Amino acid sequence: MTLNMRFTPAIPLFMVTLLLLSTFATHAEDTQNTPNSNEGKHFRVTYQSSVEPLPLNRMHWWTLEISTLDGNPVEDATITVYGGMPAHRHGLPTEPEASPTGGGEYIVKGLKFSMTGEWEVWVDITASGMNEKVMFKFEL
Amino acid sequence: MQSKSIRHIGAVLAIYLLASANPALTATRWSDAELALLRLQWIGNLPQLPDDPGNRFADNPAAAELGQQLFFDPRLSANGRVSCATCHVPQNHFTDGRPVARGIGETSRNTPTILGIAYSPWFFWDGRSDSLWSQALGPMESAVEHGSNRIHYARILFSDPQYRSAYEDLFGRLPDLTDTGRFPLKASPVGDEKARQRWQSMSALDRQAITRVYANMGKAIAAYERKLLPGPSRFDRYVEDLLKGQYEMAEQQLSASEVAGLKLFIGKARCVTCHQGPLFTNHGFHNVGTPDPATRKPDYLPAIIYLFLDKPEADQGRYQGVRLARQSEFNCLGEYSDASETDCAELKYANTDHRATLGAFKVPTLRNVSRTAPYTHAGFYVTLSEVLNHYNNPPDASVGHSELSPIGLTQRELEQIEDFLRSLDSPVNADERLLRPPAR
Repeated sequence: MTLNMRFTPAIPLFMVTLLLLSTFATHAEDTQNTPNSNEGKHFRVTYQSSVEPLPLNRMHWWTLEISTLDGNPVEDATITVYGGMPAHRHGLPTEPEASPTGGGEYIVKGLKFSMTGEWEVWVDITASGMNEKVMFKFEL
Repeated sequence: MQSKSIRHIGAVLAIYLLASANPALTATRWSDAELALLRLQWIGNLPQLPDDPGNRFADNPAAAELGQQLFFDPRLSANGRVSCATCHVPQNHFTDGRPVARGIGETSRNTPTILGIAYSPWFFWDGRSDSLWSQALGPMESAVEHGSNRIHYARILFSDPQYRSAYEDLFGRLPDLTDTGRFPLKASPVGDEKARQRWQSMSALDRQAITRVYANMGKAIAAYERKLLPGPSRFDRYVEDLLKGQYEMAEQQLSASEVAGLKLFIGKARCVTCHQGPLFTNHGFHNVGTPDPATRKPDYLPAIIYLFLDKPEADQGRYQGVRLARQSEFNCLGEYSDASETDCAELKYANTDHRATLGAFKVPTLRNVSRTAPYTHAGFYVTLSEVLNHYNNPPDASVGHSELSPIGLTQRELEQIEDFLRSLDSPVNADERLLRPPAR
């Protein structure tokens, strides 16, 4: 039995493409970073880091701007900031402290992200009898 | 025309297949994301040595010279035979090759290398010191390490004319220690009961004066240790060549197996998440469930026996360490520190939560890892392959919870990572004269 097959340029071309694709394919997992501003049912939180982009393994601070959903600054809030890496089942390496600086702004001192990977930072806000947690997620 | 183009495509394919057959050449084709990670690990990315605001003598050459004398001086011990260099042996990359350190007695922890240690914000496996200078003081008053006390050390400085002159030029006059009534021979706030009683019998001002001398000794030793840095390894030369686009030269630095191991290190094996940065450590604390010899039950007794025995105390690691650091009279906020409060963010905001700290230990550098066995805080593993098996199939933590999950590496992949780790042998990047006791 003879195998009657015509050799066409399409075959090597296809193989080259396949090989190139397999070699250069990246396996980066895409994390859906949240924007710097996020909101819950009552409050909107916007953060600004003292170091941009967010640094790896370096102590820095965030400024939080907290307002109601209709845009009024929230000045009397009690803020707790915590977070961690869900994939590694650990929290932040630090215990950040938040304090108000006026006009709905709060400074969060003592933030540090010690590993590459996906981090979550939760801002727990209690104001005017309401409590809410607003989360930020990002990949370092 | 068509046959010409077929020949052309065929030639491209042949070249590509040949290149693919050479794993080293293939492996040099790193993605941009991988190259960015490699650059992070490269020694050329090591920033300038961070300041030590708590030690205003940190970069003082005369302090480093005095510190070197102290580092190698066995008189600074209870039996006159233990110096810092007894465990931090310069020829062994400042380690001792023992599972746990041995001075006057035996400690419960492995001796880490101190090459590049000045980059760390925390010291000891449990981070119970927040500065290099305060770390140097811990072993000197530990009963199982140097085993003596601060007043004895101050007296050595006072009675040795060379030390006295070097000390007083830097730090000012030593207290007059000739009066043994006022300054007893053995007195310390952390010694045995008698030493503590003698310490309490001294006036508050005298106790403070001695403690200041002791703190200054730590500052001098730290000034010396800051000069002990790692130099470029084969891995660093490989990355440097890659970054310059000199792939052929890069391939001469690492074997195909080492390159494959590196790829796993920054990829599938996830080593780089903690062993990150040019010193291959994030300087953080993690519970990876490394076995605690204190809690291990010998196999020769039936399990039921242990129900009737006292539960051995597990090493709590960072949980205990961060509390000790907060209490230490030598911490960043203490009266012997030269730092201002704003310099003490690491101490002030350190996480103390038990879930984050219980059973967690400091991530060690991996530079010279193949030459600094045994491994883990208690020196439990003798070989790198044992350590890698631990990570591949992590056991439950003996205290707290382990952050690890199984990786699923094959035997071949484990060997490749081990091969890669050997490429991290880094010579000491310091003057040869710093590696031996200075001439007196």
